[in-house]
Amino acid sequence: MTEAAPIVFVVDDDPSVRRAIKRLVGSEGLQVELFGSAQEFLQGWRSDAPSCLVLDISLPGINGLDFQRQLAATDIRIPIIFITGHGDIPMTVRAMKAGAVEFLTKPFRDRDLLDAIQLALGRDRSRRQQESEIAVLWERFELLTPREREILPLVVSGRLNKQIAAGLGTSEITVKVHRGSIMRKMQADSLADLVSMAGRLGLPTGQLSSNRTSSSAKTG
Amino acid sequence: MATQPVDTELRKTGIGAVGDVPWGTHFFMFYETKEDLLDTLVPYFKAGLETGELCLWAVSEPLTEEEARNALGKAVPELERYIADRSIEIVRGQRCYFPGGDLDLKWAIRTWAEKTDFALTRGYAGLRISASTAWLERKDWQAFCDYENEVNHSISRWRMTALCTYPLAGSTAAEILDVTRTHQFAIARRNRGWEVVETYQLKQAKSEIKRLNDELERRVIERTQQLTAVNEEMRKEVIERQRAEEALLQAQAELARVARALNLGELAATIAHEVNQPLTAVVTNGNFCSRRLEGATPNLYELRAAIREIVNDGARASAVISRIRGLLMKETPRRTELDINEVIQDVTRLLRHELTRNRVSLRTDLAPDLPYVLGDRVQLQQVMLNLIMNGIDAMSTINDRPRELLIKSAKHSDGVLVQVQDSGPGVDPEQADRIFEPFFTDKPEGIGMGLSISRSIVESHGGRLWAVAGANGALFEFTLPAQN
Repeated sequence: MTEAAPIVFVVDDDPSVRRAIKRLVGSEGLQVELFGSAQEFLQGWRSDAPSCLVLDISLPGINGLDFQRQLAATDIRIPIIFITGHGDIPMTVRAMKAGAVEFLTKPFRDRDLLDAIQLALGRDRSRRQQESEIAVLWERFELLTPREREILPLVVSGRLNKQIAAGLGTSEITVKVHRGSIMRKMQADSLADLVSMAGRLGLPTGQLSSNRTSSSAKTG
Repeated sequence: MATQPVDTELRKTGIGAVGDVPWGTHFFMFYETKEDLLDTLVPYFKAGLETGELCLWAVSEPLTEEEARNALGKAVPELERYIADRSIEIVRGQRCYFPGGDLDLKWAIRTWAEKTDFALTRGYAGLRISASTAWLERKDWQAFCDYENEVNHSISRWRMTALCTYPLAGSTAAEILDVTRTHQFAIARRNRGWEVVETYQLKQAKSEIKRLNDELERRVIERTQQLTAVNEEMRKEVIERQRAEEALLQAQAELARVARALNLGELAATIAHEVNQPLTAVVTNGNFCSRRLEGATPNLYELRAAIREIVNDGARASAVISRIRGLLMKETPRRTELDINEVIQDVTRLLRHELTRNRVSLRTDLAPDLPYVLGDRVQLQQVMLNLIMNGIDAMSTINDRPRELLIKSAKHSDGVLVQVQDSGPGVDPEQADRIFEPFFTDKPEGIGMGLSISRSIVESHGGRLWAVAGANGALFEFTLPAQN
């Protein structure tokens, strides 16, 4: 998979500050796009490349922190670097808790901004990586039959074939065949690999305990 | 008019011993010879002709009209012209008293009055006569004394001088006393010269006048002293008042400065932002430049653009600081020619961030070509600052509609009109009268001086500041007179 060139989005209501940031960040070979308000950003941003958002706290019409929350609520998970003229501790804490990469006070050191941007882009890159990997796993998961989807959680929870067969009221051989098919379709090298995949897909594990209860009832 | 009250103007008698006399002087002389008469009457009439008086010389025996005319002609070269235009008449003594052949003293008195009138209407300064009594018969003496007495009383109201001549020969002591009684003073020959002989009444009158004069002078001095004291008192009061006014002005200026400082204190975050933004751009551009210069082949075009911005932003930060310093400085008010739109823009520029921070959208509608006003820039900025800050504060609780501030300037019959309108809850009509009072505030942290100071600033500029009731939100308006 070839990666698109990363983009740094800058939102600040002061054109001078915007231009200066573009110059500095651009000198690092990064693509920079400028916006004067949150509204403009929402209309102009793209999600087809690793990106981050350099966001001024005091914006016309909306506070930067509120905008951060608004982005999260609409599932826009771009890493944010806050810049502000007068940041205080509560403000910083709130921003960082909500997932901000960095909180810089104006005027900031160039290195601090550039490092923060690299960090943010790295995060976005790995998030995108993760997201694309998970997408691949889902594609594989789609290949499983309903019975295999039923057995997978039981396998990754560490049950023996015999236990699974007893729980499902089928033969151990049948379970073994299903298990082989699951490993092949999910392209898992080992049980540990399969466990990790199921974790990343966030498959429910509650089934396991209810199965165990029902199976123990049957055995009992 | 002949009978108008005589003024204090003095007339030259021409007679050395008498000197100058006021109008209405009635005096007499006893004579023995023609020389006595010529000695006094020639200079008397010479002076009269030379000072523009109408003259009538009733010649006494033994002098004849001819002799009088010749003697006067020697002293007054233009006498013939005076006679021709009737500025002087030289007549026989009886002519003035015997109109129809009989003695008529009432007629004589009327004649003097009419002649004086005539003299004045013809442009003469007044009437100068010399009367003769040589014709007088003893049987008429009493009547003549009464006549003289009446002349003596009436003459004070006329612009007329009369010198009566009495022959000394044959006059009795009683007659001399009568004459003395009916005239103001006499002239008499003594030791070859003429001297003034004052009558008792004149002496009395003179001493009374002197007494009155002294009294008047004393009162004038006294009054002058009183006035001087009062003046001094008033001068002190004026100085005291000026001092008090200066102190008041100073106190007001100080209070206004403190209020400005408080306002600016509230604006600390805004001010920090306004300075910090250009500084951020400067630092960032500076960093960019030094990074580029470390490279092998710096792009000069790129560097120049960055440096130009550094310079601009540096100037921008400095402008913000000088605007604030201007508002904080302890300066004596200075009136200059101002464009009120510039004052408005100075302040809105400073408050741009404060408006943004409070989610207030600002609309300005500034009329071009407004007349200049004569005013103190800082003080008028303070008025704008107060009105805008009031508007922002008033809208801080508004969440169901846009927070809008509208600032308008327009021409006005007084000069210029400025309006500041917000979309807040508006002015409570019950408090509309009180909002301009000092220390009135509805804000917990306010000192309640903003509107009071603003009004006194506007009024000290000859304008008016008021709140308009019934508008949507609060509307404040002020006028300032045009500079001319």
